[in-house]
Formats: sequence, C-alpha cells, structure tokens
Amino acid sequence: MPEVVLRNITMRFGKVVAVDEVDLTIADKEYVTILGPSGCGKTTLIRIIAGLLEPTTGEVHIGGRNMKGVPIEDRDIGYVFQNIALFPHFTVEDNVTYGPMVKDVPRQERGRIAKEYLELVRLLDKMKMFPSELCGGEQQKTSLARALATGAKLLLLDEPLSALDARVRVDLRYDLRRIVKRLGLTTVHVTHDQEEAMSVSDRIVVMRAGGVMESGTPEQLYTRPKDVFTANFVGETNLLEGWVKERMGQKVVIELRDSSVIEVERCDADLGEAVVVSIRPEFVFPFTDGLLSRIEYLTYLGTYSRVRARSQSDDVVEFDVPSIEGKLYHPGQEVYLMINGKAAVVYPRPLEGVSEAVKLE
Amino acid sequence: MPRISLQGVVKHYGGIKAADGLDLEVNNGEYLCLLGPTGAGKTTALRIICGLTRMDKGDVLFDGKSMVNLEPEDRKAVMLSQTYALFPQLTVAENILFGPNIREMPQEVKDRTLADMLDLVRLTHRPDALPRELSGGMQQRTALARALATGVDVLLLDEPLRALDARLRISLRHELRSLAKSLGITTIHVTHDQDEALVMADRIAVIREGRIVQVGTPAQIFDDPVSPFVANFVGQSNFFVGVVEEKREATLVRGEKGHVVLARPCEQGLGEKVVVGVKVGNTEVHKGGEGFFEGRVERILFEGRNIFLDVDVPELGRLSSKIPSWRLGRLAVGDLVKLNWSADKANVFAMPTHGLERELKVE
Repeated sequence: MPEVVLRNITMRFGKVVAVDEVDLTIADKEYVTILGPSGCGKTTLIRIIAGLLEPTTGEVHIGGRNMKGVPIEDRDIGYVFQNIALFPHFTVEDNVTYGPMVKDVPRQERGRIAKEYLELVRLLDKMKMFPSELCGGEQQKTSLARALATGAKLLLLDEPLSALDARVRVDLRYDLRRIVKRLGLTTVHVTHDQEEAMSVSDRIVVMRAGGVMESGTPEQLYTRPKDVFTANFVGETNLLEGWVKERMGQKVVIELRDSSVIEVERCDADLGEAVVVSIRPEFVFPFTDGLLSRIEYLTYLGTYSRVRARSQSDDVVEFDVPSIEGKLYHPGQEVYLMINGKAAVVYPRPLEGVSEAVKLE
Repeated sequence: MPRISLQGVVKHYGGIKAADGLDLEVNNGEYLCLLGPTGAGKTTALRIICGLTRMDKGDVLFDGKSMVNLEPEDRKAVMLSQTYALFPQLTVAENILFGPNIREMPQEVKDRTLADMLDLVRLTHRPDALPRELSGGMQQRTALARALATGVDVLLLDEPLRALDARLRISLRHELRSLAKSLGITTIHVTHDQDEALVMADRIAVIREGRIVQVGTPAQIFDDPVSPFVANFVGQSNFFVGVVEEKREATLVRGEKGHVVLARPCEQGLGEKVVVGVKVGNTEVHKGGEGFFEGRVERILFEGRNIFLDVDVPELGRLSSKIPSWRLGRLAVGDLVKLNWSADKANVFAMPTHGLERELKVE
C-alpha cells in the first residue's frame, strides 16, 4: 500500500537550493498537505514525488519501493495540476477514461469506470460535454475524476483549487476530502492557502525556504504551533514581545513592553528570558484591567467583528467581539485587554527580530 | 474626487451579456467592492468606467458629467489589472515615472512624484530594482505606485490581490484600503472573494450576470441579503424550503416533511412557498434542548478559529454549522444533535421562479 517515504531529499537548480534535506513520511491513506509561501519549495517537492524531477540527492520510496529512475507513468499515481489540463477536444467522459484507454481497458469496462467516478464528483449529467462548456469548478472536478480513474492509490494535488473563485474553492475543498477519504487514498496536496490546508488535511507540513518547519494536525498547528512563523502563517495572531518576570511551576508571568503583565500556562521559557507571546484574536477580551490600548478601527466579519487596537508600547493588538456588541466599540476609545493565558503560546524572541521571523515573502 | 454613476449600462459580446442594464452609484472618496463570480461582468464594468471598452447603451458620469465622449487618458481614472503588467526591463523608479515621462512633466514635478510614490508604497529602498528582483507584494505595490503617479481621481482595481499567496493577501488588505482612503480617491475594487470584500469595502455591490443584485455596507450584505444567491455567496447559508404557516412576531414556515422553523417577519402571505436562509455561522448545534431539526454529526473539520460541522438530518439532507473551535471535543462524529437558530437570523425569500439550485449556482 502506498506509504510515501522521502529520505534526505535535496534539490538544487544551479546555485538555488529549492529543497534542502527534507525527510518526510506520509502514511498509507493519510491526507497530507504541504503548506508554505511562494518559493518555499513545495511544488518542487511534489514534482519529485511524482517523478517529474529527479532529486539532486536523496531517495523517494513509494509503497516500499525505491523510485529512482522510475518515470511518472510507472509510479501508479493520480496527478491533478493547478492549471486545469484537460484535452479540449475530448468529452468529459473521454477525458476521464483516458488513463484506462491507454492501458487498453475494454470499452464496456471504461464506460463503467467513467460512470463510477463522474458520479463521485457529481458530474454524471455533464458526461457528454466538452471542457469548454464547463465552468472552472466542473473542469477541475473532471481533472480529479480523471486522476482517480487511473485506479491509483496515491493522489498528488498541486494547488488544485488555486485557479478557482473563492466561493467555488470553499465548496470544492469539502468535496475533495470527502471523495479521497471514501476511496481510501493516500493524498499529498500542495497549497499556499492555510484555510484550505486546515479544512482538508489529516496532517499539515509547513515548509519555508526549502525546509520543513514543522508538521502536525490542523488543530496542533493552530493551537500549539512549535514555531512563531507557523503561528502567524496558519492563522492570524497577535505577537507581543516581553520577558519572563516570574516563574510558578509551569505557569509564568510575562512583562510586556508597556510593563503590563500577563500570566501564561504551559511555558518552558527561563526566568529573565526575552520572549514573544502569540495570542489569537479570539482569545483576547476587553476587561477591567490589563493591556491598555486605543481602538483604531473595527472590521465587520459577519458573525463577529474584529477590533484593531494599539497598546501604549505601540504594539498592534486585535480582538474579536460578537457582531451585536460591535456597537459598544469605536475608534479612539481606550480599552483594557485581557489575554487568555491558556491559549497563549510563548516563543524565545527570535535573534533576527519578530517581523523578520514571520515574514511572508 | 468624483462621484461615479453608471446608468443602464449595456454591453453584449455576441450572446453574452457582460453588462445587462447596470446601475451603480459610487460616492466621492468611497472604497467600493464589486463582488461576483467569474463571468459576472466585473472587469467589463471597470473597462467601461475608464473608457477602455465602449458600451452599447447607457451612460457613465463623473460628478454628473457624461464621460462617454472622453478618451481614457482624459478621464483621470486608472485601471490596475490583476497581472500588474510592469515593464520587465525598467526599474521600479522608471516604471513609476512612465506616465509622468509620457506627459512630459517638468523634472521637478517628476522628482517629487517619485519620492512621494516610493514613500507611499514603502519602496524607498528599492527604486533601482527590476520587477523580477522583487517579491509579489512589492511588484503589486510598484504597479499601484505607477497607476497613482499620473495623479488620478478614480482608482479601478481588478482583483489586485489575486496573484499573491493567501496569507499575504490577508495581511495586505488593510494596507491597500488605507492607502486609497488616505489619498481620498474614489476606488472600485473588483473581487470574487467575499471575505476580502467584507474586510475592505465601505460598501459592497454584488454583481451577477451583468446586473447589480444588491448594494450595501458589509453588515447589510451579510445580515440582510436580498436573495438566496447573496445569502449563500457572502458567507455560506443553509436553506429550508417550506410554506408560510403563521405570521406573528416571527414567521413560522413548515416544510414538506413536517419540519417547522422560525424566521424573521416577511412580506410573503400565508400559504406561500418560501425559502428560509440562515448563515452556517448562525446555525447552532447542541446536544440537549430544543431544535428545529435533529440529526447525526457526519463530519467535523477543524478550521482554526472555527470548526465546520456537517449534520445529516433524516429526510432533509445535510445541514452545516460553523461554531467556535473551543467547542471541539464536546461534539463527536455520530453524536445525535439538535439544530436551531434565532428567528431574527433567518431570512425569508420568495421561492425563486427558476428553482433554488439554479439560484444558488456560483459559477
């Protein structure tokens, strides 16, 4: 069964190191997303798994077999590209059964395969149409059905939803996960979209500058990320600098730059250490004391409003309030903000500075 | 800065109606997002406003003055395309000064413009860089500076953030908006991304098939959608089809299978067939207590701030709910749950004549 093992993969293009000593194991039937900003090496990595690129050093094993020298067509994988690559002069049905046709599967059997997979992506009614008659989401579903119809147990998705409208993308990502889970496939999905990664994956691998930063379930990466870059990349967060003023077992007191203090649970930092605290806006609350801040503006987000405030030490602090309470806050107003110490995560202050450590490009 | 009016604008390409009687008013200095799916006619509208496309019928006015007979360069409106189209062989400074050079502005004005623009888009340290040496965000800012350097009154942005990474897009939203607002220019920003529109716009105009469906503040568009399409396009919604059975402080709607739900007061009469729409974020799920429906949790997805739940309701199908993720762990797949909503969060719409499925289509 297709477990994928990458051993010490490095890929150089001239002087550029696109992938830098990556070790990664993707379990059988696992849905793994490789998430990272442009230029982090994620596309190079998936192309190496597919066999479209031969790594400079390192090995790819699929289902226990070393893939060195094995071309893409012999790796038994389904591949879906960002730029929808359907045969324009083939009908939807013929596109889907292209793989089986190449493998000389009899016509009748091919018809059955087409029906099976087009039903799965809910396109049975579009079977006889040409790609140009479909909208973007339907075209990409056809690409998916074509990749699935090869019967491959390993599915590689290279930014499969990036070319689609935001709203279509949301609907399709739910479908995507449902389909691959039903078929029990091993899936590697590459994306720069952290929301997409969250909603489809069993596990997310965060890449930056050719290397793997960390990996974990969506919940782990959102609630207890190991690195401050991840904390900022997989969701919006407040980053507040300070130092450890007091230690009480696993609990610490951190003094922020405006000399207000917060208590954080589960923190390993040493007494006196310079730290940065990551706290998501939904865990910051207006209270009777705490971090004194002045509101700059409010943004309406449907079920809640996000308020942006600035502390006396000029740090930006964002917090969420239910939409109905939005009226209670207005620009210029001063508020005291309290931080939920259970939800805060503390990191050593990066040597290069916080803004450099979380830079997106 | 001008107030922009589009009046009955029509533009057909063969059988395709890119603009089909488009009416829109944009206020002086306003940041308006034109939101709609691909093919709705968003880009066509921008091209007509700046004069790059000639309309078949209708009028475009800036401050009440018709622009129909003015050439694009005389309208003081500039359009920024989604691909930026910087000159690859020119530096940042040369790209920014492209317009002022063509207009043969005095050197002194050009120097000042360049300094102002570099400062505005925070590229003071990179005037001599070539576009390919810059990150995506910097290229986007260079393109913006070039567009603004000719002294425009109207800024037309065609999916300005599309080419950027998702996370970067989110962090640049506020920057782009405040830049336009600080210059006081009238901005129309075209997007297919409803989150982007909610966050950035003073007002949102929802466009579909060449017509404006609704114009309003983000709160109005989200809370008081005029149609099931808008309700589902801006934030997802659950829909329930039924017949108006009672009209008091709330509307009582009964479905074919006997389920009963409450919704806001409505115009429709007793016995009329209607669609009730509720945002997934306003659809509550709980294990005990009362609910309009009962079903089993089919799937739970952790999405960061929120979790997304699918609940399978016998005889009705799948309903979804978005709840804060701190409730994760209190609900599990297979749990029997109740679903409900407060009546004032549920909108009542007339049953669309072409059917609900066709109405909700997003492409």
